[in-house]
Amino acid sequence: MTIDAAYLLQLTLNGIALGLLYALIAVGLSLIFGVMEIINFAHGELLMLGAFAMTFALPVVGLLYWPALAAALLATMLAGLVIYEILLVRLRPDEFERSILITLGLSIILIHTVQYLFTATPRMVDTQYGFDGIAIGTIRLTWTRLIGAGAAIVAFAGLYLTLRFTQFGRAMRAIAQNREAALMVGIRPRTVARNAMILAAGLCGLAGSALAPIQLVTPYMGQFLIFKAFALVIIGGLGNIPGAVVAAVALGLVESWIGGFFTAAWQEGAVFVIMIVVLMMRPDGLFKRGGMRVG
Amino acid sequence: MKFAAAFLGALAFAALPFLTSSNYIIGVGISALIFTVAAAALNLVYGFTGLLSFAQLGFWGIGGYAAALTVVTFGGSFWEGVLWAALLNGAIALVVGYPTLRTNRHAFVISTLTFALLVTLIARDWVSLTRGPLGIPNLPSPEAFGQRFDTPAKFYWIAWAFAVATIAFLYALCSSRIGRTLVAIKQNEPLTRAQGISPMPYKLAAFAIGAAITGAAGGVYCFELRIIDPTFLDFYYMQTFLIIVIIGGTGSFWGVIAAGIALSALPEVLRFSEDLRMIIYGVILVAAMFVMPSGVAGWLRERRLAAMREALR
Repeated sequence: MTIDAAYLLQLTLNGIALGLLYALIAVGLSLIFGVMEIINFAHGELLMLGAFAMTFALPVVGLLYWPALAAALLATMLAGLVIYEILLVRLRPDEFERSILITLGLSIILIHTVQYLFTATPRMVDTQYGFDGIAIGTIRLTWTRLIGAGAAIVAFAGLYLTLRFTQFGRAMRAIAQNREAALMVGIRPRTVARNAMILAAGLCGLAGSALAPIQLVTPYMGQFLIFKAFALVIIGGLGNIPGAVVAAVALGLVESWIGGFFTAAWQEGAVFVIMIVVLMMRPDGLFKRGGMRVG
Repeated sequence: MKFAAAFLGALAFAALPFLTSSNYIIGVGISALIFTVAAAALNLVYGFTGLLSFAQLGFWGIGGYAAALTVVTFGGSFWEGVLWAALLNGAIALVVGYPTLRTNRHAFVISTLTFALLVTLIARDWVSLTRGPLGIPNLPSPEAFGQRFDTPAKFYWIAWAFAVATIAFLYALCSSRIGRTLVAIKQNEPLTRAQGISPMPYKLAAFAIGAAITGAAGGVYCFELRIIDPTFLDFYYMQTFLIIVIIGGTGSFWGVIAAGIALSALPEVLRFSEDLRMIIYGVILVAAMFVMPSGVAGWLRERRLAAMREALR
């Protein structure tokens, strides 16, 4: 096969769009880990809930993209709040294994409840944009992919500004950097953890609702993506947000390129192979964790 | 006392094929024995050594495929297949365990999980070896001393002998000096180091032994199913092992064995719908983590301690 530039560019653009979606999930995981020192196994299910919310909201608002997106975002943030207040609030810091088992149980419950209520049949979602898109030369991008990538970039910019310049975000960074010191200056870990959980759930919901028009919606869609996101936060260094973003976009590119030239098996396996190699060389991930640094 | 109870329990299980002629009940008995062995191996890794390893699922699958391929592709016997399953898993565990055990416990959990997923992908996509999603059907029944173990009752003896042998081995290991060292590493690793014990060889040994036993259990189980395909690596198995260990009580040897037998029968009792059953599993897992985080055995121990305190007052 000859490698022509347009094909390569198309793969690159697809890879960036894919990587940004991975980044939305991985950043939420990293944020939760930074603030609460737990790993949320049910994070993929938040994404699945976001996609399902989008599926049900779209027909109600007459296939309009933005109102449905807003509804899906609200629904997942609410889900994040409920999960925090019912389950995660009871965890003390340093109960890592317990947090995994509890969120694993939650993930089992969510997947199978959704499957029981709505069956495992994959759903197609149609939006006002349909399969329309823009074409530059021979390269085609659908609106739904473009908007997904754009929303992700806006979300990262918003997250950066929030963490950097607002009291709300500074409190999160303070807890992530030094829990005791943050307590001493009067920051409430409980409130901050709740905010972090809602924020992370919102990012994940955004990823889910942006994915809904691009691929099939099934109860298992989150589980598949979350395992990749786990590998990404390890590669990027646990709790390191910029590290997770860089690793996620890089993975999107690598997967897209591999997918363009090799079989699908290599595309799916790439992330795990990369992770094992990275762990061999740098047990703490590529970007060593130094609290939650932004910028 | 404990030995007498264990001996009587083992004998009672040996008698199952004489008490019933129902192939269904015997099938449940076989699953109970094999799942208990796999859970006991996870208990060695998680309960005793404190390493929450999701790689057990991968080892279970590798064991199943290794045993099936030894028989079907390489023309070996069932016994060689199970032996290869154990040896191959032990070797893989050493290779995977060394880099992952060097990381912190957070990264360890995630990397063992990704290892299990990688095995699933290989089982599905390396079609020339594993025959992909179609799997390998019609696994032949084991043979020994001119005897074919072709009925469920006969296969039950194999599962029983395997379970008794591995559980006895694990008990000897867990109650030895090595077992106590593992518990010490779980409770306080810096203190263990200060006593002049290097944790790494012990952790690696526990990980490899757990992997070998899980693999052998997977090898025996796929011959009970008579077919192996990528659903053999369903996350459901990992959840079952974990729930058995947690309900039984992490680090309590006999608690996990008892929970293994009891909980393997439970899915058969709760047979209304696949999804409802999984929802109940999830609820049990979450509830157990809040109500009795140290399992039934831990709860009983606390009750006994409370009663003793009360008596002294």
